[in-house]
Amino acid sequence: MYQTSELEINMGPQHPATHGVLRLVLRLDGETIVEVKPVIGYLHRGVEKLSENRGYRSVTPLTDRLDYCAAFAENHSYVGAVEKLLGVEVPPRAQAMRVVLAELQRIASHLIWLATHGLDIGAMTIFLYAFREREKCLDLFEGYCGARLTYNALRIGGVPQEFPDGWTEALRRFLDELPTRIAQYETLLTGNRIWRLRTEGVGVIDARTALGLGLTGPTLRGSGVDYDVRKYAPYENYRDYAFDIPVGSKGDTYDRYLIRMEEMRQSRRIILQALEALPDGPILAKVAGRIRPPKGAEAYFMTESPRGEMSVYLVSDGTDKPYRVRFRSPCFNNLQGLPTLSKGHMVADVVALIGSIDIVLGCVDR
Amino acid sequence: MSEARAVVIPRPAPLPWWKRFFLVEMLQGMSVTMKHYLRGWREPFTVQYPEERLPLDPRFRGYPRLRMHPETGDELCNVCRQCEKICPTLCIAIEEEPHPSGKGRRPRQFTVDYERCCQCGLCAEACGSDPISAIYMSHDYELADYGRDRFRAQKDRLYLGFPAPPAGKGKAPGK
Amino acid sequence: MYPVLQYFVVPFIHGVVLTLVLLLCVAYLTFMERKVIAFMQVRIGPNRVGPRGLLQPIADVVKLLIKEDLTPDAANRVIFYIAPVIATLSTIAAFAVIPYGGPEATVSIFGFPIRPYLADVNVGILYVISISSIGVFGIVLGGWASNSKYPLLGGLRSAAQMISYEVPFGLAIIGVLMVTGTASLVEIVQWQQQHTWLFWLQPFAVVLFFIAGVAENNRAPFDLPEAESELVAGFHTEYSGFKFAFFFLAEYIAMIVVSALVVTLFFGGWLPVTFGLGHLFPKLPALLSGAWGGPWVMLLFGMGWVFIKVFFMLYLYLWIRATFPRYRYDQLMNIGWKFMIPASLAWIVLTGAGILAVQAIRS
Ligand code: SF4
Ligand code: SF4
Repeated sequence: MYQTSELEINMGPQHPATHGVLRLVLRLDGETIVEVKPVIGYLHRGVEKLSENRGYRSVTPLTDRLDYCAAFAENHSYVGAVEKLLGVEVPPRAQAMRVVLAELQRIASHLIWLATHGLDIGAMTIFLYAFREREKCLDLFEGYCGARLTYNALRIGGVPQEFPDGWTEALRRFLDELPTRIAQYETLLTGNRIWRLRTEGVGVIDARTALGLGLTGPTLRGSGVDYDVRKYAPYENYRDYAFDIPVGSKGDTYDRYLIRMEEMRQSRRIILQALEALPDGPILAKVAGRIRPPKGAEAYFMTESPRGEMSVYLVSDGTDKPYRVRFRSPCFNNLQGLPTLSKGHMVADVVALIGSIDIVLGCVDR
Repeated sequence: MSEARAVVIPRPAPLPWWKRFFLVEMLQGMSVTMKHYLRGWREPFTVQYPEERLPLDPRFRGYPRLRMHPETGDELCNVCRQCEKICPTLCIAIEEEPHPSGKGRRPRQFTVDYERCCQCGLCAEACGSDPISAIYMSHDYELADYGRDRFRAQKDRLYLGFPAPPAGKGKAPGK
Repeated sequence: MYPVLQYFVVPFIHGVVLTLVLLLCVAYLTFMERKVIAFMQVRIGPNRVGPRGLLQPIADVVKLLIKEDLTPDAANRVIFYIAPVIATLSTIAAFAVIPYGGPEATVSIFGFPIRPYLADVNVGILYVISISSIGVFGIVLGGWASNSKYPLLGGLRSAAQMISYEVPFGLAIIGVLMVTGTASLVEIVQWQQQHTWLFWLQPFAVVLFFIAGVAENNRAPFDLPEAESELVAGFHTEYSGFKFAFFFLAEYIAMIVVSALVVTLFFGGWLPVTFGLGHLFPKLPALLSGAWGGPWVMLLFGMGWVFIKVFFMLYLYLWIRATFPRYRYDQLMNIGWKFMIPASLAWIVLTGAGILAVQAIRS
């Protein structure tokens, strides 16, 4: 008597396509997935607990290490939360500068997503092309704050320093070049039949399920929900800028791909508007040297990180260290969608889907 | 509500059969790589690291170091311990002694654990010495060494720094 | 004179020399692959060992030789050892019938005639196809004998893939056989010498043959058995050191074999490229094929032309690899069975109709 049995394989934590140290336990029927179980925690560094033992100002560098592909977004959420806790109003110039940097970070982060997603699906050249452009983003960040990956580019109450001389011109040059580069990527991927076969109809998730799983960011917008923190709870001066929020119609991997490509263009649009209308004035609000929010004060602040809603919940106990810091990471919630997304697909699709939900393990494990 | 609009992103139509048959979009993709090939031959984007180095931006944050007073050549640090306090990785340790001039204090030993330092730059920002900060973010970033104790930089290293790498001759792309 | 020498020793030496040349080609093919893809990706590629990195392949070989050779505890040792050998030997053997010069370029060394091919089998094509499909055993057995899950999946994929693509790979050639009326590779090239490159008569078959060949070789975009983002390294995940090198060799030799086949069948093998000017200047083909200088020159020229043409085919492989994403397993099967096989069958019918039409016109 012959019988078939399910095969259980471990993907990760050391695996070329799991974007870090994600471990997936796959149960396979042939090549078809019966069940995916993500196992996380390999990169847990206890950032939340660590933050409780640091002064408010010293936590910002720690947030860099959450989502190391979009460190600025994490800085932004944390600093915003502290400002909310203290009731500090950020000067308009600093707000606009933050928007410029945040959108530049979104471009950089989407580029690294494109690179790795392409590589997962087997297109290896796109990896280096996207990294080339990302390199330029990093150069800009280096010029601004001195670091290329873990920026620590924000201070409570504003931004630490002005854009250096010639920086905005360099940024403009980069933005001028960006559309042609994106067009190149699109020639390589968007229309390519293999790419479309690999992404269309893969990992379809409808809006209800996506909302139910707590997905945010492009992963949710792919299913047609236009939830974007920049639109629904505008922070900084996002309400001043005109931009589109691309949403998908089918909710498959291809939609999520198209959305991120479009978001890069929209980020470019926002930066150009922000540079155009960069107000003058101070860049750092007055904040007491020793930050001691009132006892029992709480703040919850959300930003739209490149991966989705990144928010920080802070509780103060009246000392100069936070009583509780909680990071609501988009990656963690998006990863939650992976088992649902990949049910019934094939092994190769899991890889595409990990890329498609765009997780960073530092952010998942915290 | 901001001016952001939600736009449903159009999905490209399926390829017409003749395009499919003649592999049109495939050939377009191949032309992109070919273009890069013809150019990449001469102008690669990468930098051959040990021989070429990218120039660092003036604001580049390398490992923190100490410096003297630019005019008097005295030690700048007055042991206010602001850097020690703000450092998120708790990697600064200062032992103090009274200043020989009788006024104030100065560090007898100043240790920065480079293994733990995350180059965040907060110490340099917090430093309260006059006229410039005593601790500053240097441009050192190559610290390979044998043995961990070598990374506990003390005053000698903090003042003199590490042997400077040979000057970079590479050009920075996009700059 | 000395039949033993003539029929055993000399071909043996010939074969050994051919194999060594092939191995050298493989070494530099890997170098070429890395360089070409690097340039396409705006980087430099290997440039540390030797001038411009030219000694890199040698360093790689040395590295593979002195590397620790691991065998998993649970592996089936015998098969685990045999598998890479099967894979490599079968692909090397396929090279025996590929001509790199015409019979007129036969040179004599110590009185023994050496023809520019090891054997002119009258069923050359069948020989190549059948011997190269033995290679799949190496991969399947290697994947199975590793007794590990990723290699197993890789091996299974590979079995399915190679068997499916074997069919269009063979069918695509039928048109050639119908037109030329022979299955000997040498005679096919000679036919092309008299008429024209088969590429002009069988353009569609070239594309089919090449695609099927790429799939047979497990090269991108059909590199599923070793899709590194899914199966880590596929069937050779558990292999290391020299056994790994054997699989590696098999893959690259198979690439060269398929390229050489395409060149021989469709692009006139050792015939010179005259850009269609052969009719305008009747001396040109003779000039470019070295016919003015006796067999040695002809041999050199023939080898040169084969080399150049094969080089272009290999370049195409790398170019494709640099550009495209990878298919999924089921999509690959769909293409194989739902497009390639019907299309190649249709092409056979079309070719048959064409031949009949030509005969009708001629008579
Ligand atoms: S750079 Fe940051 S981590 Fe390093 S010593 Fe200064 S404050 Fe500490
Ligand atoms: S903050 Fe500056 S002056 Fe104060 S102890 Fe540190 S280095 Fe010395």
